[in-house]
Amino acid sequence: MIKRFKDIFVSLLLIELLKGMAITGRHMFSRKITVQFPEERTPMSPRFRGLHALRRYPNGEERCIACKLCEAVCPAMAITIESEQRDDGTRRTTRYDIDLTKCIFCGFCEESCPVDSIVETRIFDYHGEKRGDLYYTKDRLLAVGDREEAQIAMDREADAKYR
Amino acid sequence: MNMSEKVILHSLHLDRPWSLETYRSTGGYDTLRKVVTEKMPAEDIIAQVKVSALRGRGGAGFPTGLKWSFMPRSFPGDKYIVCNSDEGEPGTFKDRDILLYNPHQLIEGMAIAAYVLGAKVGYNYIHGEIWDAYERFEQALDEARAAGFLGKNICGGDFEFDLHAHHGYGAYICGEETALLESLEGKKGQPRFKPPFPASFGLYGRPTTINNTETYACIPYIVKHGGQKFLELGKPNNGGTKIFSVSGHVNKPGNYEVPMGIPFAELLELAGGVRDGHKLKAVIPGGSSSPVLPADVMMDTTMDFDAIAKAGSMFGSGAVIVMDETVCMVRALERLSYFYFEESCGQCTPCREGTGWLYRVVHRIEHGQGRPEDLALLDDISGNIMGRTICALGDAAAMPVKGFLKHFRGEFEYHIEHGKCSV
Amino acid sequence: MAQIEIDGKQVTVADGSTIIEAAEAAGVYIPRFCFHKKLSIAANCRMCLVEVEKAGKPLPACATPVIEGMKIFTHSEKAVQAQKSVMEFLLINHPLDCPICDQGGECQLQDLAVGYGGVSSRYQEEKRVVFNKDFGPLIAGDMTRCIQCTRCVRFGQEIAGQMEMGMAHRGEHSEITTFVGRAVASELSGNMIDLCPVGALTSKPFRYSARTWELTRRPAVAPHDGLGSNVALQVKQNRVYRVLPRDNDAVNECWLSDRDRFSYEGLYSEDRLNKPMIKEGGQWRECEWKDALEYAANSLNLIRQEVGAEQLGALASPSSTVEELYLLKKLMTGLGSGNVDHRLRHSDFSADAYRQGAPWLGRSVASLQELDRVLLIGSSLRSEQPLLAQRLRQAVKRGAHLNVVHVADDALLCRVAHKLIVAPDALAQALAQVVKALGERAAVDAEVQPLLAGIEVSETARSIAASLTTGENRSVLLGNVAQHHPRYALLHRLAQEAARLSGAAFGVLGEAANSVGAYLAGALPAPGGLNAGQMLATPRKAYILLGVELERDSYNGQQAMAAMQGAFVVALTAYKHRAHEFADVLLPIAAFAENAGTYVNTEGVAQSFRAAVAPRGEARPAWKVLRVLGNLFELDGFSQDNAEALTSEALGNTPLADKLGNALRPGMNLVLDKPDGGRLQRIGEVGIYQTDSLVRRAASLQKMSAAPRAWMHNSLLAQLGLSEDETVTVRQGDAAIQLSAACDDTLPAGCVRVAAGHEQTALLGGLFDEIRVEKSKGQQQTAEHTPS
Repeated sequence: MIKRFKDIFVSLLLIELLKGMAITGRHMFSRKITVQFPEERTPMSPRFRGLHALRRYPNGEERCIACKLCEAVCPAMAITIESEQRDDGTRRTTRYDIDLTKCIFCGFCEESCPVDSIVETRIFDYHGEKRGDLYYTKDRLLAVGDREEAQIAMDREADAKYR
Repeated sequence: MNMSEKVILHSLHLDRPWSLETYRSTGGYDTLRKVVTEKMPAEDIIAQVKVSALRGRGGAGFPTGLKWSFMPRSFPGDKYIVCNSDEGEPGTFKDRDILLYNPHQLIEGMAIAAYVLGAKVGYNYIHGEIWDAYERFEQALDEARAAGFLGKNICGGDFEFDLHAHHGYGAYICGEETALLESLEGKKGQPRFKPPFPASFGLYGRPTTINNTETYACIPYIVKHGGQKFLELGKPNNGGTKIFSVSGHVNKPGNYEVPMGIPFAELLELAGGVRDGHKLKAVIPGGSSSPVLPADVMMDTTMDFDAIAKAGSMFGSGAVIVMDETVCMVRALERLSYFYFEESCGQCTPCREGTGWLYRVVHRIEHGQGRPEDLALLDDISGNIMGRTICALGDAAAMPVKGFLKHFRGEFEYHIEHGKCSV
Repeated sequence: MAQIEIDGKQVTVADGSTIIEAAEAAGVYIPRFCFHKKLSIAANCRMCLVEVEKAGKPLPACATPVIEGMKIFTHSEKAVQAQKSVMEFLLINHPLDCPICDQGGECQLQDLAVGYGGVSSRYQEEKRVVFNKDFGPLIAGDMTRCIQCTRCVRFGQEIAGQMEMGMAHRGEHSEITTFVGRAVASELSGNMIDLCPVGALTSKPFRYSARTWELTRRPAVAPHDGLGSNVALQVKQNRVYRVLPRDNDAVNECWLSDRDRFSYEGLYSEDRLNKPMIKEGGQWRECEWKDALEYAANSLNLIRQEVGAEQLGALASPSSTVEELYLLKKLMTGLGSGNVDHRLRHSDFSADAYRQGAPWLGRSVASLQELDRVLLIGSSLRSEQPLLAQRLRQAVKRGAHLNVVHVADDALLCRVAHKLIVAPDALAQALAQVVKALGERAAVDAEVQPLLAGIEVSETARSIAASLTTGENRSVLLGNVAQHHPRYALLHRLAQEAARLSGAAFGVLGEAANSVGAYLAGALPAPGGLNAGQMLATPRKAYILLGVELERDSYNGQQAMAAMQGAFVVALTAYKHRAHEFADVLLPIAAFAENAGTYVNTEGVAQSFRAAVAPRGEARPAWKVLRVLGNLFELDGFSQDNAEALTSEALGNTPLADKLGNALRPGMNLVLDKPDGGRLQRIGEVGIYQTDSLVRRAASLQKMSAAPRAWMHNSLLAQLGLSEDETVTVRQGDAAIQLSAACDDTLPAGCVRVAAGHEQTALLGGLFDEIRVEKSKGQQQTAEHTPS
């Protein structure tokens, strides 16, 4: 009986509504946390695992030596490498493909690389419009690396002491 | 102790002591003649050598009589005896004097050994850097052949033995007996894995006995005077006299033939004492591969296999290197470890890689770039080389390091800490 | 037997076995680098140090013999400490270049470093660098990686018979190298790649192309010599990347000849035929299989109806499988022709009627090693069967006497007790001398006896005979040169007699991968049919060629090519080669590794294999092509749908051993004529890397193969007024080619050695026929072009 009267009382006085309004009111004046992507971006860790890139040395020589460790370690088998001896006698890839539709962004490739060649950049907002657009070949990966080198180098630097 | 009795360097006062004529005048080759004409039983001679407590003079000090008894004398086919005159150990220079001043005694000793061991051919492998000794020995061989002490029908009997001299090219490793055999066969001087020992698989795969120059040179005396007399020259288990090559900071460096078991202090006195105005700091008692001993330990010890072993080092080849207080022990070790680094044959891993590592670390310490953990590292590396190699060169490289660190650790620590020498 | 204890396990092992062997028997693995079961013990890597009770220091397990009651601890603290310290020493100067090292993933040092290596190195000093040397086209050397285990050195000394690798310098400066500036030339050199426990010696053709974990191993049988070495093909994405040996002590042990190892390159030659082709009006055009097969069948049918089936001939390569050869024979029989043969390089077929079985080795391959006395007749064994030569080398090392009767004094890289080196036309005479000398001890067969009249027995022949009558295990072996010889039947009969008189086993060394199998599959002329020699001497109207590169595979390439002119030729071939010039239909067939089938090796053992990769292009296995041809001719018995069904049909159910036999039935017409001293003779043995189509297209092996030259004795050079290195014209029949003259004083007088099988010498005449050599005209110009 008592509970019933209490319920009626609460409903009539719109107490629940006022409680809700109070929360709304509080948030209306507090600092907003919504990020207006793409105009605004959240901060990122230097360890962020986004789109892959192949790096070069400052002299323009590609870093990759075709050791195939990334290919071997890749749990999704997203990497395909073919290699041969280049004319100068060094070991080089003739093909280095990452199928981003297979990739699970675990970062093992990056971790296994003995020469810091394959890296994952901060880029995550890439897209493809055609079938095959997400199949990154060596040229495209190198192009990403060339474009992002400054950022990549900074991120490696920041993370160096923990590796 | 009879200081004047000499077994080997007894004819130095005579004119041209190396000539056959002079040697014959001191009763030389009489023993060989007696052995051959009387057809002395080989067992008797071995027994006498055993009684004499003659121990290998090349460094290891293995009882010669025992070694000879391992030789399968009745084994059909060729057998060889080889004399190891490949004297390369830093500090040792006794064999060259035997070759220069009493080569015939060596020839006689080898001929008797050949008689005992049933060999028809012998070789004397002479260090490649003592050319005059090699030439002198070749001369002596010619004389001995002409006089019928080598060749067929020696001393008119039916004993046949020929001896050839062979010179090496200066590699220290060829002083190791199996490396010597390889080199003698015309191959690269690299030690063989043992077993099989040379007594069963030696030169050209035939039974072979290898002894040091000084060891062979003692044989005529033992056969002539009996093993007991030789033994009494020295002390029990360390028979005879020994040629000590004393070098370093003494007034009169040189070879001294004195009885085994002579106190070190007496030997030092013979060599004229430590050079004037300085005091004894340390002694390497048996050639560069034996651990160094500090002055106080040395002054209390006698010079024989057992006493030196007890003092914590090795008698080795009897090469006594004397160092006074001006010597920087780090630099001394650097020099020694460089020698072993350069002389390693490179066959087995610990020695090939380890000797270079040792040298580089000591070199660094000497040049003021030592690190605190280096001494533990040196201890560890030398421990990892010791006893893990095919031949004894690994041990020889490791032991000096151990010895220097044991007795002079403070000096090394000073070097590391201050980057310079305390001496 | 000795009772010992390893890690607490009681084991009984044979006396004198080493600790490492005992441990293996007990299932305990001891790490090692320098130890190899087939090589002598070096004990230099020290990785196998173990603790032995009562021994003061750790002992190397590979070199320490067990003693009754020995207690061994392989994983005790002391043992592991010793092993770890050795590993540390090995690693201090080893480069950290595993990512670019081809050995990565199959490296013993890498594997053991996981178990025994430290996390980081205490070695702070500069690492050693060793400059690389050029070891030739097969072996890539990265000598900084070398750990001086000397396996390659010992392999050269003990197995290959020539010490090509050695350790120069000493201590830390020691390095493995060839003799200054020389490349490795041994025909077994590839084994050093397998032996090398690190990446110091790796395969050059394979360099940087794949990782071991990407490759699938597919078993196969090597297609080049009569041994039938067991190989593993390493395959990735339908391509053979590498060939490795499979251990089989009865056949190739753990070795492989370079020819078997590197010939896979030939599969990817530009010269591969990828699509069926038809020649129409003198023009080649690619077509569908159906069209090509129908065209071939119709044309053959037409010819058969017009001029008779005996105008059809079939020539097959002895490297074809049993199944293919069987179907070819069946096809020809179905068409009514008995003209089938696989012995293209033979020139004397007169023994055919007297055969009682397929010629074979006469004993097992493994037992060659136990031989005490050998007579090797007409064989350049090292190039014919490199691994059999190795077996004989082991026998000789054990004390066997190897006697040789041959036309050239080629180094067998082991001690040869006695040798008779004579001109080809005196080979039978030389052998007769041996038989006559043997006849001084036992009665010579009445059939052979008349031949021996007037034979003067030389001292050497007598020594050979004396050698052959002692010892326990004996063999008389007839090699390829004897089999290709124009008096082969006579040589065979004499060798058979020599074997009988000396109580030796008589063996014929198999020429190609399936020579024995070809006999068993019946790839031989039917009674009344023509053999290879006749088919080419009296040209047929149509030929079917199976895997044959006629101009380079025949005894007389010139004659063979002439026979093809004007004939209708259907070539089943994996390569285009000169078939372009004479054939009318080209049918692409699967090559080695793409084909299933069976080879019967020289000891009469059938070894079947499956295809490891799909055939290139539109090529199809030859047995399928032949089967379809059979169907097109509407013949019975061409409905097999797998190779296995064919195998049992081809080889039957009786044991193969019953069908082998070297002895010839009596009744042969034997004449031993005197050598004709007047004319120059060619010694035309087939070069080691020219034996078959596949190996001829293996690029790296071809770099190892010297260009053919006209080799002759110094006196002959002088007599012809020639000088060494001068370009000369060599003529046989209508062909004249330019070769450079070379001097070899071990050759018999009156002989010019011009290797066969090369493209340059393809169109010369018979391998052992008359040859003419003369100064080249326009010599001046050529001389100017010769680099000085």
